[in-house]
Amino acid sequence: MDFANLASQLNAGTILPEGIVILTLLGVLIVDLILGRTSSRWIGYLAIAGLLTSIVALYFQWDATNPISFSGEFNSDDLSIVFRGIIALSAVVTILMSIRYVEQSGTALAEFIAILLTATLGGMFLSGASELVMIFISLETLSISSYLLTGYTKRDPRSNEAALKYLLIGASSTAVFLYGVSLLYGLSGGQTELGAIANGIANANLGQSLGLVIALVFVIAGIGFKISAAPFHQWTPDVYEGAPTPVIAFLSVGSKAAGFALAIRLLTTAFPLVANEWKFVFTALAVLSMVLGNVVALAQTSMKRMLAYSSIAQAGFVMIGLIAGTEAGYASMIFYLLVYLFMNLCGFTCIILFSLRTGTDQIAEYSGLYQKDPLLTLGLSISLLSLGGIPPLAGFFGKIYLFWAGWQAGLYGLVLLGLVTTVVSIYYYIRVVKMMVVKEPQEMSDVVKNYPAVRWNLPGFRPLQVGLIVTLIATSIAGILSNPLFTLANNSVANTAILQAATVVSTQASAVNTEHPEGL
Amino acid sequence: MLSVLIWLPIITAAFIAVLPLNIPANRIRLGALTLSGIILFWNLFILLKFDINNPGMQLQEYLPWNETLGLSYKLGVDGISILMLILNSLLTWIAIYSSSQQTERPRLFYSLILFVSGGVAGAFLAENLLLFFLFYELELIPFYLLISIWGGQKRGYAGIKFLIYTAVSGALILASFLGVVWLTGSSSFNYDAVSTQALSTALQITLLLGIILGFGIKIPLVPLHTWLPDAYVEASAPIAILLGGVLAKLGTYGILRFGMALFPQAWSIIAPSLAIWGAVSAIYGAVVAIAQKDIKRMVAYSSIGHMGYILLAAAASTPLALVGAVAQMVSHGIILAILFHLVGVVEAKVGSRELDKLNGLMSPIRGLPLISALLVLGAMASAGIPGMTGFISEFIVFQGSFSVFPIPTLLCVVATGLTAVYFVILLNRTCFGRLDSNLAYYPQVEWHEKMPALILAVLIIFLGVQPTWLVRWTEPTTTAIVATIPALEKTVTPQIALKE
Repeated sequence: MDFANLASQLNAGTILPEGIVILTLLGVLIVDLILGRTSSRWIGYLAIAGLLTSIVALYFQWDATNPISFSGEFNSDDLSIVFRGIIALSAVVTILMSIRYVEQSGTALAEFIAILLTATLGGMFLSGASELVMIFISLETLSISSYLLTGYTKRDPRSNEAALKYLLIGASSTAVFLYGVSLLYGLSGGQTELGAIANGIANANLGQSLGLVIALVFVIAGIGFKISAAPFHQWTPDVYEGAPTPVIAFLSVGSKAAGFALAIRLLTTAFPLVANEWKFVFTALAVLSMVLGNVVALAQTSMKRMLAYSSIAQAGFVMIGLIAGTEAGYASMIFYLLVYLFMNLCGFTCIILFSLRTGTDQIAEYSGLYQKDPLLTLGLSISLLSLGGIPPLAGFFGKIYLFWAGWQAGLYGLVLLGLVTTVVSIYYYIRVVKMMVVKEPQEMSDVVKNYPAVRWNLPGFRPLQVGLIVTLIATSIAGILSNPLFTLANNSVANTAILQAATVVSTQASAVNTEHPEGL
Repeated sequence: MLSVLIWLPIITAAFIAVLPLNIPANRIRLGALTLSGIILFWNLFILLKFDINNPGMQLQEYLPWNETLGLSYKLGVDGISILMLILNSLLTWIAIYSSSQQTERPRLFYSLILFVSGGVAGAFLAENLLLFFLFYELELIPFYLLISIWGGQKRGYAGIKFLIYTAVSGALILASFLGVVWLTGSSSFNYDAVSTQALSTALQITLLLGIILGFGIKIPLVPLHTWLPDAYVEASAPIAILLGGVLAKLGTYGILRFGMALFPQAWSIIAPSLAIWGAVSAIYGAVVAIAQKDIKRMVAYSSIGHMGYILLAAAASTPLALVGAVAQMVSHGIILAILFHLVGVVEAKVGSRELDKLNGLMSPIRGLPLISALLVLGAMASAGIPGMTGFISEFIVFQGSFSVFPIPTLLCVVATGLTAVYFVILLNRTCFGRLDSNLAYYPQVEWHEKMPALILAVLIIFLGVQPTWLVRWTEPTTTAIVATIPALEKTVTPQIALKE
C-alpha cells in the first residue's frame, strides 16, 4: 500500500475541526503549566477562539464529496456536521458562563476548560463515528470527562455525591451498551462497521432473532442514559442539582445532542431490520419521558432540579422526530436541538448570574426580581416561555415542527400527548415567571431585598452578559427568522446518505399508517 | 395597509416597555391612548376602503414565510373580520381610557395591552391556519400577566386558571388544524388551500368537535366556562373589557371561520346538537346570574348567556341568523364594555360590589346619578330592550333561527326574559332604594371616568336606531358562507331537538 492510497484511505481532512479542538486543548494545558493562574484572565477566550475556528472549519466541510474517512471509522456527512456544530457551540457558551463561576469557586479555570474541551471532543467524534469501537471510545471520552466536570467543585459534598452517582450509573450503563455492541459484533460475523453489520445480520438471516433484539435493547439502554430518557433518567435530577451550573448547561445540550446523534446514526444504519421494534421501544420512552418529566417538574422547588426534569421532558419531545423516522422527522429533531441550545443556555446563564449574585437557586427566592434586575428577568422569562413553546419564540416553532413531523408520520397519539404535556409544562415554567414578574415589591424574598447593585464590569461578568444577550436574541428571533435554520436542518438530512435508505423504509411504513384513518 | 393594525401596536408596546422609569403613569397612559386612537382611525380608514359588495377576502397581503411548515404571512379582511377589527381597536382605546391615572407599573401595563391588541388584530386578519394559531397563542402570556398583576384578591388563582384553560384550548385547536391539513394531504396551511370535502364524515365530525371544544373554552360555552367568572371578576375593569369584549369574540370568530366555513358537511350534521347547546348555555348563564350576589359576577355570567345566542345562530346557518350572529358579537362587545366599565367605577367610588351593601346610587346629590343612569341603559341594552343594539342583534338571531330550530330559539327567548330579571334585580339593589347615611361619602366621579361610558352609550343607541350600520358590512360574506352549507332537514329538526 503506497502512501497516496493510504492517505485517501485515511482522508484525515475530515476531522480538521476536531484537530483544531485538540490543538486548543493542548494549548490551554501548556499555557496553564507555564504561566500558572495568571493566565486565567484570557485562557477562556483562547479556548473560545479555538472552538469558533473549529466551527468555521466545519462550515467548509459542508457537502464534502467524500465524507468517509479512516477506512469507514468516521463519517463526516452533513448530519454529523450539524451535530458537531451544536456540540461545539454549546461548549462555547458554557465557557462564557464558567469563566466567573469557576473562579468564584476557587478552582483552576484552565483545568476545567481542558476537561470541557475533552468532553466536546468526545461528543464531536461521537456524532460522526460509524464503527463500534470508535463509537465506544468517543462515548467514553465524553462520559469520563463529564464525571470529572460533575465533581469539579470538590469541596462541595453535593458535587461529590452527584459525581459518584453519575459515575456509577454511567459506568454501568456504558457496560450494558458495550455488551450490546459486542453482541452485534458476534451476530454479524465479526463486522464492526455499522453498514456492514446490517448486511452481515441480513446475510446470516438473523433479522428477527432474539439475539438482535437483546442487542438492540442493551444499546438503547446506553443511549437512553445519555439523552436522559425515562426510565434511564434517575441520575439527571441529582446530578443537575449537585454539579456546577455551567457543567449542567453543557450536559443538557452538548451531551444530549451527542446522544441523539448516536441514536440516529446507530439505529438507522445498524438496526434497519428491527426498525419497528426500536420505534416501539422509543415510543415507550417518549411517552414515559413526556409524562414523567413534565409532571414531576411541577413539584420542584429548586431551579436546577426543575430544569433537570424539564430536560427529561424535552428529550421526550425530541424523540417524536426520531420515531417518525421521516426526513421531516430527523430535520425537526435537528431544528429543535438547535433552538434548544439557545433556550437552555440562555436560561442557565440567567441562573448562574442569579446564583453568583445571591448564592442560591431556590425558585421561591426569585420573587420580586423584576425591580432589581430587569435584564435577568427578561432573559429567564423569555427562555422559559420558549421552553414552554409560547409563540413567537424559537421553542414554539421547534415544537410545531416536531408535532407537524409526527402528525405527518401518523403518530397521532404521541403528538396529542406532546400537546397535552406541553400545556402541563407551561404551568411550571410560568411559575418562575410569576415569581419574578407578578410578585409585588412587598413580597420580595430576603435575597432579592439585599440584591447587590447590578454591575457588568466585574471580572468575568462581561462574557456572561455577552452570552446572555446573544442567546436571548437568538431565542427571541430564531423562530420568526427560522427559514435559514430550517433549510440547514432539512439539507443536512437530505444530503446524508445513511438516512436516505432509512427514510425510504419508514415512508412506506407511514404511508400504511396514513391509509389507516380512511378506514375509521 | 392591514399589517399596520398588527405591527404598529406591537412596536409601540416594545417602545413603551423600555421607556425610562421616571416618566409618570398618566403621561404613559396618554401616549398609549393617542396611539390606540391612531389605530382606531386607521381601522376606520380601512372600513372606508372596504368594498361592501365583495363577499371574499379583500386588501390581501402575502409574504412567504416558512415553506417547510406551510406557514405564510397571509392577511385578508372580509365582512366578518372587518367588524371584529373595529371592535378590537375601539375596545382597546376604551380599555386604555378607562384605566386608572395612577396604574402601578404603567410601562408594563400599557405595553401588554397594546401587544395584545396587535395580536388579536393578527388573529382576525390571518388567512393561514398556523398564522392564526400563532396569533391566538400570543394572547396567552400577556393576559395571564394582566390578570395576575393588576387584579383583585384572588388574582393569582384566576390568572393560572385562565392560563391553563386557554393553553388547553390552544392545544385542541392546533391538533384539529394539523388534522385538517394533514389528513387532506395538503401541504400548505393557507385558508383557501384547505378543504375538508375529501375526508370521511366521521373524521370531519371528530376534527370539527376538536375545533368547537377548543374555541368553546374561549367563548366560553357551558360547561367549559368555569374559568370565566374567576378571570372576569378578578381582572380590573379595563382588562375585563378586553377579556369579554375582544377575547371571547376570538372564540366565536374561530367557530364561524374555522368550524362552519371549513366543515360545511359536518356542520349541518351536528347543527341540531349545537343549537341545543347554545340554548342551554343561554339559560344557564341567565339562571346562574340570578343567583349571584356580586354585580361583577352577574355581568360575567350575562356574558355566557349572550354567547349562547351566537352558537344558536351559527347552528341555524341561515343567512339572516349569521348576520345576527356577527351583529350580536359586536353588540355584546360594546354592551359588556360599558357594563364592566360602570361596575369598575362603582367599585372604585363605593368600595364594594356586594348587592347587599350597595343602595340608592341614583340619589342626585350624594349618589352617582349619571353613572347609575348609564348603568340602567347598559342593563336594558343587555336585556334586549328595543331601541338599543342588543335588541336588534338578538331579534335578527331569533328571526333567522326560528324557522330551523323553533324549540331552542324559544328557550333562548326565555333566556332573554331571565336576563331582564337579573338586571332588574341588579338595578333595584344598586341604583334604587335609599343611601346609607353613614357610608355615603363617595368621591366625585371625574369627567374622564364618565367619558368612555358616554361614548359607548351613544354608540349603543345609534346602532339600535340605525341598525343598517351594524349589518351592512357582513351580509355578502355571511351569505356566501351559508351557501356552501347543505340545507338542514327542516321538517325533522323539531323532533330531533325534542328527542335530544
